[in-house]
Amino acid sequence: MFDRILDPTGLSVRPTNVAVAARRVPSLAGARVGLLNNTKRNAAQLLTELGDLLRDRYGAVVTIQRTKPHVAFPVDEPMLKEIAAVSDVVITGVGDCGSCSASAAADGIAFERAGIPAAVIVSDAFEVTARAMAGVHGDESFELLLTPHPVAVLNAEQVAERATELVADVANRVCELAR
Amino acid sequence: MTGGTLDGQVTDALDGAHQSIEYMYDQGWSDGLPVVPATRELVDEFLATTSRPADEVVGRLDHLKREVSVELAAINAVMAGCRPEYFPVVLAAWDALMAERSTVGGGWQSTSGPAPLIVVNGPVRRRLGFNATGGVFGPGFRANATVARSIGLIVRNALGVVPHVLEQATQGIPGRWAMCIAENEEESPWEPLSVDGGVAAGVDAVSTTLLRTSEFVDNRHTDDPEALLGDFADTISRIGSWIFRHASAGVVFCPEHAQMLAAAGMSKADVRDWLIERCGRSEADLARAGKNHVHGNVRRQSDDGDPGAFHRYFADGAPKNLPIVVAGARNAGISMVVRVFSNWSGISARVEPPRDGASAPAT
Repeated sequence: MFDRILDPTGLSVRPTNVAVAARRVPSLAGARVGLLNNTKRNAAQLLTELGDLLRDRYGAVVTIQRTKPHVAFPVDEPMLKEIAAVSDVVITGVGDCGSCSASAAADGIAFERAGIPAAVIVSDAFEVTARAMAGVHGDESFELLLTPHPVAVLNAEQVAERATELVADVANRVCELAR
Repeated sequence: MTGGTLDGQVTDALDGAHQSIEYMYDQGWSDGLPVVPATRELVDEFLATTSRPADEVVGRLDHLKREVSVELAAINAVMAGCRPEYFPVVLAAWDALMAERSTVGGGWQSTSGPAPLIVVNGPVRRRLGFNATGGVFGPGFRANATVARSIGLIVRNALGVVPHVLEQATQGIPGRWAMCIAENEEESPWEPLSVDGGVAAGVDAVSTTLLRTSEFVDNRHTDDPEALLGDFADTISRIGSWIFRHASAGVVFCPEHAQMLAAAGMSKADVRDWLIERCGRSEADLARAGKNHVHGNVRRQSDDGDPGAFHRYFADGAPKNLPIVVAGARNAGISMVVRVFSNWSGISARVEPPRDGASAPAT
């Protein structure tokens, strides 16, 4: 009887992608790090601090820092290519709103598809939406790096602490040796 | 289950109806209330009310890899409880929404949990029974309720923006997916909203904008138009939902307020001009709410600045920043300030006129 009821989602005609993970870099020593800031409050500082820590602790080099033109949408192709051209690994975030957390997951998957291992930092309050978006973009088991909510109200000192807490996970995420 | 089955088929019609409703809940297709099963025959009746092809794509969110076709819109309109002849209004409402920058950005996923205010103008209001008078914000009227609900179901089902998953409203606004009002053109002293949206008066049209929230102004004892507008200015100028440099707000005036202002010689543009000049807050007020400094376009706290400076609420006096509608009963001075999510597109969408034979059942 129920097969006469039409599906309102259109999902049956949706094409699906296959998950593609980039090769992790063998070592972070000398590795080029790209930072993609999604404009959320404290994202720029958190990424900068992480870049500094990867340099100081692992010998990596930050080669590029870019800011997304639209917080809600995944990174566009030109910016992705610009970053990928000079990066061996990418860190992006902070997923700290409904649409931007989802987009951060999509960004990570896009970089992985382009062959660049990506660490995506998301507030733990937005884990579910980021995971759902990862599923939409063909990699529902994409690994996110969670940081406790809230992020936007942290002061500079607290953001630096967050970076210290996250740096080993970021290294683990993108580097074979650090795992 | 009380009804019998024959070869796996439900033999009792009411049991079948109940089981269909439960089936659709189980599929995750409902907004929480029962939905109507969309069969091929019923959807075809809806499709027969429009000249647009079933596979025409009327909306898409590329970042979510989802799109809305006329057919999917029709399926969701059936489920919402629309009659077939409402479908051109649903399509016009959807077209108007797609002209909003927030709806094609991340608006549906926003923590603000916005929802559209849908405004219907023209003879279609009476033809299909849209409420324009008492209790206009609902509920109680099928056309108003089901057109608004259709939009919510399209967003949920066709765009896949489901609460707790891709939809991340912190609380969501009261009246979500339930705000479809018809303008009370008969008792309005002014031109309809659709004229501000570029459609001639007397032509069926739908205008929409996403809202942050609403708050009414109850003022029934002053005969001074400036005192009345002062009450609106006070409500509009609240800081709570004001997060960027400027904000937008509309007013849904009740007939009594609109007529008092018109009797004082004020046009809609005059009302807007009056409010634009006066709506806003001192920097000292904003500092007390931690929003006195504009960083980029976002309000934040700062120890610097000029406490005496006046921050205007509106960027300018364009209808898209301060849309004005007249709706409700003529029984009291109660109007609604509606807080626009970003701003109104300023574009009203025409409703396709009824087609010959459109109401005949499909064969």
